[in-house]
Amino acid sequence: MSDLKTIVLQTNDLVVGYRKADKDIALFEKLNLNLCAGELVCFMGSNGVGKTTLIKTLTGLQKAIGGSLEISDNQSVAVVLTDRITSSLMTVYDLVTYGRYPYLNWRVTLSREDYELIDQAIRQVHIESLADKKLIELSDGQLQMAMIAKALAQNTAILFLDEPTAHLDLNNRVEIMNILRGLSRTNGKTILIATHELDLALQTADRIWLATPDKTILQGLPEDLVLNGTFDEVFQFKGFDLKTGKMSHEAYRGVEIQLEGNGYEYLWTKNALERCGYEIKQASKLKVTIFQKENKLAWKFSHGDYTRDYFTLMSLMEGLAIHP
Amino acid sequence: MKRQPAFWIQSLILAVLLVGLFVANISLGSVSIPFTNLLTGLLADEGIYTDIIWQFRIPKALTCILAGSGLATGGLLMQTLFRNPMAGPDVLGLTSGASLLVAIILLVGQFNVGLSDTLFQNPWSIAIAASLGGAMVFILIISIANYVKDNTSLLIIGLMISAATSSVVSVLQFTSQADDLQIFLIWTLGSVGGTGWRELGVLAVVVGLGISIGYGLVKSLNGLLLGDNYARNLNINLGRSRFWIVVATGLLTGAVTAFCGPIAFVGLAVPHLIRLLIPITNHKILIPAVMAGGASLLLLCDILAQLPGSIQVLPLNAVTSLIGAPVVIWLVIKSKRISV
Repeated sequence: MSDLKTIVLQTNDLVVGYRKADKDIALFEKLNLNLCAGELVCFMGSNGVGKTTLIKTLTGLQKAIGGSLEISDNQSVAVVLTDRITSSLMTVYDLVTYGRYPYLNWRVTLSREDYELIDQAIRQVHIESLADKKLIELSDGQLQMAMIAKALAQNTAILFLDEPTAHLDLNNRVEIMNILRGLSRTNGKTILIATHELDLALQTADRIWLATPDKTILQGLPEDLVLNGTFDEVFQFKGFDLKTGKMSHEAYRGVEIQLEGNGYEYLWTKNALERCGYEIKQASKLKVTIFQKENKLAWKFSHGDYTRDYFTLMSLMEGLAIHP
Repeated sequence: MKRQPAFWIQSLILAVLLVGLFVANISLGSVSIPFTNLLTGLLADEGIYTDIIWQFRIPKALTCILAGSGLATGGLLMQTLFRNPMAGPDVLGLTSGASLLVAIILLVGQFNVGLSDTLFQNPWSIAIAASLGGAMVFILIISIANYVKDNTSLLIIGLMISAATSSVVSVLQFTSQADDLQIFLIWTLGSVGGTGWRELGVLAVVVGLGISIGYGLVKSLNGLLLGDNYARNLNINLGRSRFWIVVATGLLTGAVTAFCGPIAFVGLAVPHLIRLLIPITNHKILIPAVMAGGASLLLLCDILAQLPGSIQVLPLNAVTSLIGAPVVIWLVIKSKRISV
């Protein structure tokens, strides 16, 4: 089954870094990594660990200090970097046109096929309505889509992206990851995304490359890296419980509450109670029951003989806070 | 399927402007030539008119066209190379290099009367001095361009060379005699009237070469607008592109400065004026448009400098800046934004 995968990129003892005052400074040493066709890999690591440098080295924008890099059939790689484009007159369509430049002669005359690939790239990221807009008129999310469209117009088998979801809101982040996910599944593109957004990476990546503090990169399925504690080790989480995917809360009130209910109502009520410093524990004296009253969600609070109904979590929290 | 807008109306405006100003430039001057006499004077021998037209007006108008289009293209190339709207053809220090050598010839020549006289008897001496000065800075910049890897460093080095040579020129001015100083100052004010047909031929060849190299770099120039990393990802050879952009600009600025003196403002302003008329980033369209714009602006400035109907002549540099600067200020304020 694993034989079905064809490796499109392979590094052999690759040493990545930069030159400073005639001395090589290695950020990663002896990397033996690979990317398979149609695979979406998220490359994770703390800020400043050298994610951009590795992406640039794999793209050929920067020389490796040592080792070698093999890309099957000497294919070129499209890349989306964090570099800003300063031209205020450039339109989205102009930008996507650049994707065809590697295939054009010095007079940059576009063929019918070039136009079709440009249109297709614009359609793939759903920015048809933005084609004539100037880049400076776009939101950060739209600009990122346009950059991805430019990279798609390059029509390469491999696509690298450096922090494509930085500075974006949740909706845009999810949309970009979904589009990239779709491109790898349906178009067979090999995609490498450098990111430090753990939640998105865990939910979309086929595999994770995880940069460790000792200058190497671990490869693995996201779930494996969660369960064997590698993520905790690398990121040194402060107040985030990766196994539940939540912030850890301190039950600072020292009050135990029994909670009855089910489904997502239960989860969100639990979230509210824990965030406000209560501990959820079976067989407590205080009890909150989630129920339906006149087709509306309601919470019944009981303490011995005392009961009271609440219709919002906010009023419930207020009621709990003043309960003796 | 979508094609890039062709900007037919704007192209037509530029073409009409260029032809109109060319005709106006020939017919206006200290002696005004009526349009009918202009036509007959061009074709048949009409005595004094024919002499004025063929020996003076047409070479001057053609010089305006060559110098204007050359400087404007040079400015566009520099603004794109440095991704900086403040760049012009003189940022590499070529103009000040040319000034330095011309200053040495004109101002230091006083100490060696024999040498100075031989030089002045040769009408090409100033042109040759300016070319040599420009070429010296040019070779310096080219060798530095191969050494420093980023454009901003090159820009700063160009500005520093410019500042250093300018200060040497100031010292020379300070220590020289009033008569020599006046000759030098007149040269620095720029002039398109000093070129005969022979000089014009040389100017045409060099400016033609510079613009051809520039036009051959359309793909690289467009790519440079994305920044170095993206340009390289699109298989654009940055080192080679930068070298040839510098060569093209060097030829354009050097040739124009040699024959017309350091003409200010055209190279900096015309690319901005053209981009406000034709809002596009594709150099395939920008280069011809900027050529037409530069030629038109210099033709217009020359008409105004001649003060039509009077025998008084204003310095060209004063006119280019005086009418150009307010126009650019107005356009920048109106469009709120200006960039490469």
